[in-house]
Amino acid sequence: MNMYLFELKSMRKSTIIWTCALITLALFYISIYPSVAKDADDFKKLLSGYPASVRAMLGINLDYITSFLGFYAMIFSFVTLFGAIQAMNLGVSILSKETRERTADFLLVKPVSRLAIITAKLMAAFTMILATNIFFYAGSSILANTTQTADFDQKLFFMINLTLLFIQLIFLCFGMFVSLFFKRLKSILPISLGVVFGLYLVGALIVTGKNDDVLRFISPFKYFDITYIIKNASYEAPYLIAGAVIIVVAAVASYMIYVKKDIHV
Amino acid sequence: MSIIEMKDLTKYYGRARGIIDVNLNVEQGEIFGFIGPNGAGKSTAIRTLLGLIYPTSGSATLFGKSCLEHPEVRKDLGYLPSEVFYYENMRVIDLLKYSASFYKKNCSKRINELAERMDLDLKRKIDDLSFGNKKKVGIVQGLLHEPKLIILDEPTSGLDPLMQQRFFELIGEENKKGATVLLSSHILGEVKKMCSRVAFIKDGKIIKLEKISTLQENSYKRFSVEAKSAIPQEAFNISGVSDLEVKNNTAHFIFKGDINAILKTISEIELHNISIVEPDLEEIFLHYYAKED
Repeated sequence: MNMYLFELKSMRKSTIIWTCALITLALFYISIYPSVAKDADDFKKLLSGYPASVRAMLGINLDYITSFLGFYAMIFSFVTLFGAIQAMNLGVSILSKETRERTADFLLVKPVSRLAIITAKLMAAFTMILATNIFFYAGSSILANTTQTADFDQKLFFMINLTLLFIQLIFLCFGMFVSLFFKRLKSILPISLGVVFGLYLVGALIVTGKNDDVLRFISPFKYFDITYIIKNASYEAPYLIAGAVIIVVAAVASYMIYVKKDIHV
Repeated sequence: MSIIEMKDLTKYYGRARGIIDVNLNVEQGEIFGFIGPNGAGKSTAIRTLLGLIYPTSGSATLFGKSCLEHPEVRKDLGYLPSEVFYYENMRVIDLLKYSASFYKKNCSKRINELAERMDLDLKRKIDDLSFGNKKKVGIVQGLLHEPKLIILDEPTSGLDPLMQQRFFELIGEENKKGATVLLSSHILGEVKKMCSRVAFIKDGKIIKLEKISTLQENSYKRFSVEAKSAIPQEAFNISGVSDLEVKNNTAHFIFKGDINAILKTISEIELHNISIVEPDLEEIFLHYYAKED
């Protein structure tokens, strides 16, 4: 418990900053929606002038874009991008921090097992991600309800927001897993930004192409098609399962590697 | 049961040598010295013992148990690493309290006591501390739970002489109270002063395990003599002198034996300057142990 609380405290500041950034991003977009809705036809015309591939890349669906949720879907692709960076940063840093800041000689000679250490760190990171999502949902929900004159489906709004949590968990566990392959990570940003932007671009390229169902498995950003969620009020089971598999496999593999790893400073 | 036991302990980093077939027992209540030049494998042996790295073969145990399988045996361990790093943005007292929270006892009295002894300000931020003061944090951190086994890796680097002395006093007191100590160092004098037995490690192997009393009989000194006139080649041709080098007015050599005998010899020369120092370890290894093996 002491390690969990300690880790929470050390992650607190960056989580607050990330959460505020995400809410600000949402605020910025949601606040322009009323004017978009007012000139819906012009807006549609403007967007239809864009090549279809660019629209696909930005997650714009012309049938829905002028509805609030359709518009929110576009915003949300940026939110998930930033959320993924936050989660990946957290995942890459939680274990590598000890060797990078050379504090491993402090923590790893305490009378606790490595299993307990990684569990405490992972739980703390999970708590922070959960807190980010709760605050983001609360924030975006308040914004949406205060700026919207027309009603929108609250359940769908919740389901869209929930995909942020799924994507963050995938990147959290994946980041932790990746970090274990480095003896000492000097800095986490290049690797987390590289991986996240790489997968984001791959995802964008996939949808601009044939939008192949199999290729979509490559990029977690494409596991949750917001248009599909709006249409069907459900997630696509195969991708949901793929996400869960990544989370579980990455977490279990991280445990196994970390317990057997030589700790250098 | 030995407090520390290493059995054929071997560690390779890929193909690079760490340590090879290290065998060692440290008994209850002993202060054991572990000495060798930098890169000889001292830290590797200690880190394997502590469960930070996995041995390639052989075993290392604390209180009869391996740290890797029984991490809880480390509750009676105090460890001071050679380089001390702590979490950023913490005050000394917060770090010490965090450290204490791993041991199921109240350590606050002990923290204050140790901080006072080591002259450490508990309210400072760790980031703002000098290297020597960080080392003090490490010392307090390693001793605050009154461990039964204290492992010190190059403990005195960065400490001023006064603090070094206080530190060794502190370790001496802990030892009297029953703590076993493993002291790793590359400074022979330090080890000689504290330890009852010492193991010499070189190139990953233990080349000698000796009682300090034996070592003290074999006291080596390095002499550098500068005379007013040329020194004859045969001037230092007495037993106990080795590694002799005479050049015009100067002579360098290592001496082992009765110190009075050599001083008598030197006194026959009109001196300009003289220095008598402990030879560094490398020299002892090169000229004595290496030859004897």
